[in-house]
Amino acid sequence: MIKHLIKLVWNRKRINFLITIEIFVSFLVLFAVMMFVVYYADNYRYPLGFTYDNVWNVSIDVKQESDDYFTPEQLETTRQLYLAVQDMPEVEASASALSVPYEFGGSYGAEEFLGKRVEYERDEVTDGFKEVLGLTVVAGRWFGKDDDGANFKPVVLNQQMATEIFGSEEAVGKTLGSTERTGMESRVIGVVSAFRKSGELAAPGNFLFARKNLNNPKDRPPRNLVLKLRPGTTAEFQVKLTDKLQAIAKDWSFEVQPLIEMRDAAFRLQLTPIILLGLIASFLMIMVALGLTGVLWQNVTQRTREIGLRRAKGATAARIKRQILGELFIIASFGLLAGILVVVQFPLLDIIGFISGKVYFYSIIVSALIVYLLTILCSLYPGWLATRVQPAEALHYE
Amino acid sequence: MLKNYFKIALKVFLRRKFFTFISLFAISFTLVVLMVAAAIIDHVFGEMPPEKNLDRQLGVYQMQIRNESGSRNGLVGYFFLDRYCRDLPDVEKYTFFTAPSPIATYKGDEKIKLFLKRTDGGFWQMMNFEFIEGAPYTDDDEKKRNFVAVINEATRQKFFGNDSAVGKTIDIDGQNFRIVGVVPNVPSLRFIPFSDVWVPISTAKTDSYKKEFVGNFMGMFLATSVDKMPAIKEEFNSRLAHAEIPDKGFTEAVGNLGTFPESVARFFSLGPNDSAAPTRLIIGIIIAALLFMLLPTINLININVSRIMERASEIGVRKAFGASSMTLVGQFIIENILLTLVGGAIGFIGSFLVLQLISQSGLIPYAAFQMNFRIFFYGLSLAIFFGLLSGVYPAWKMSRLHPVQALTGGVR
Repeated sequence: MIKHLIKLVWNRKRINFLITIEIFVSFLVLFAVMMFVVYYADNYRYPLGFTYDNVWNVSIDVKQESDDYFTPEQLETTRQLYLAVQDMPEVEASASALSVPYEFGGSYGAEEFLGKRVEYERDEVTDGFKEVLGLTVVAGRWFGKDDDGANFKPVVLNQQMATEIFGSEEAVGKTLGSTERTGMESRVIGVVSAFRKSGELAAPGNFLFARKNLNNPKDRPPRNLVLKLRPGTTAEFQVKLTDKLQAIAKDWSFEVQPLIEMRDAAFRLQLTPIILLGLIASFLMIMVALGLTGVLWQNVTQRTREIGLRRAKGATAARIKRQILGELFIIASFGLLAGILVVVQFPLLDIIGFISGKVYFYSIIVSALIVYLLTILCSLYPGWLATRVQPAEALHYE
Repeated sequence: MLKNYFKIALKVFLRRKFFTFISLFAISFTLVVLMVAAAIIDHVFGEMPPEKNLDRQLGVYQMQIRNESGSRNGLVGYFFLDRYCRDLPDVEKYTFFTAPSPIATYKGDEKIKLFLKRTDGGFWQMMNFEFIEGAPYTDDDEKKRNFVAVINEATRQKFFGNDSAVGKTIDIDGQNFRIVGVVPNVPSLRFIPFSDVWVPISTAKTDSYKKEFVGNFMGMFLATSVDKMPAIKEEFNSRLAHAEIPDKGFTEAVGNLGTFPESVARFFSLGPNDSAAPTRLIIGIIIAALLFMLLPTINLININVSRIMERASEIGVRKAFGASSMTLVGQFIIENILLTLVGGAIGFIGSFLVLQLISQSGLIPYAAFQMNFRIFFYGLSLAIFFGLLSGVYPAWKMSRLHPVQALTGGVR
């Protein structure tokens, strides 16, 4: 049956070749969009590791472009700000941090730990950070007052990073290499379940927390204050908060933003291009579907004689339909095969680094399924038309 | 003859309405996407108020300082602009200004987000703002550190409703400004002039910006004539090469003076000293457009090829009566171009609606996309190009039909 269908397809190779190309290009377009959709959908499934309800962020603009250097006055003012918000009755818990969830950009590093090169994102936070964002410590402990006099730099890793460096071994208490920059060795004191700073849509990655101590004159001042507010605190508190901070640091600027608003903004920024691409791609697919329907329709009217003959010899309507569908199925498969062959080259050449093999595989499957669905839809009407061919009419054609 | 072609084309189009619909859908959709893209590109790069004399403008938008171990990147620092760029030769006017920075401000309990740009007085000379009320501030205000501000219409609406704003004060970021002028909204895609509020540079909260080599500023210069521009760039480069860098440990500075499209192209190709960057960007845009047109073109070719079969007998008759292949090719291409022009017309209306939709959605603040003559021209040439592209192969195929074969009912 399939062999026979292939023969029929080959007989009309010129027009079928054009359809194959159309399917091929459609697959590529679909794949390009699906890759992002699958990527985001896959990321969304992983645990976030923090909560953002009733958490506000105050970003501090110290009116200086670079944070490579700072003055003792800047550090002192930051400390004053921190103490001031702590006293406010609306604030349940507070912390300061170099960067906060849903913020664009951050501090990234790549270092050799125990002979393994590990890429990670890092943040410097004060002791309250865990409580404000509701982090879950799964091993060891979080930063605390005890770390003040320590002769090592305490760090907390997320589970993923701990596993990447230490495998199944216990990470807590271990020393991380690389002491040259700090002059003090870094020691893992705890592991948190997860922390995905860039939010739900970003790929899970390695994360390292370093402790920030506002009383240490060598620590650079953080640029953010994160606050956990009592439930029911309204937006009006923003004004009060800004006024209070502004009174302490007249030369600086503050922006108060609930984390949920930052989350919305981050989602919008990440999703808008995908929605736009998806919209264009779906219009392209509608166009392709209409075009294929037209071409098949035309084919059926042209092959009245052939179909009539089959009907006369006793083929049922269902079998005729199956022929039309089968032919298109074979053409589509050829197009898809060519498309997959092209698409498979990308990971081999390492063009799209951030997409994992799994995401890649599922994008191919989803795109191929959509193409098949499309071909079935397109052959429905022409297939029905073919079953309407009357043998008598077909046989005395001309 | 053209009239005949026209009549035949019309008959063919109306005979199989479904096919005509498919073709028109494909054509108009393709053109809508391309024309909207063209309109947005035009909106960013084309000359429109408040900017003028774009062809004679040079700007420095980015700066990098580096040493062996690392670099610091950003916009240009005020220190460099102030010290080295005030007296460039053959420059008619110049201006220094910051990038617009987002500021949250409160009116009562209501939070209002604004963009604030700090500029010198020269900014208002360089730009061609049409003042709704009041007037710009001047270099004198800048020198005396007067707390004056120019706001846009939307900001006036937010703070004062429909009342006049000049003379009133506005509280932004803990500072109090007296409003001296109101200007129409500037679309946020107009990178250089865009902001909600403009105030003098010297009103900045601290003057640490005066010591920065890499900072938050940009500089723009109006050359006396286009031919003087290479010389100005050269002078700029030599001054930058010899500039003193106040930041400790940094030995080398990299920056570039160029027209706005040049700087954008350079930013995307990330090569700092590359004069071929704009050409490459244009080629990139053309390739992207062609890639996008690929699928619609194949689709249209497919439809056209299968429609020829339907007209086999007509072609057979014409050939039997001596029409040459060339005539038939010509006829078919003209038919196809006619169809794409109709699709183009629908596409125009479509793009207009889509642009209207984008403008009103608020996705891009103050965007006011308009269909202008330039876009009309792009659209028209795109439609004709598309018609040719999708018409040539089917026409060639048609012209090769053998008359006898054609008369007996077409080919496989």
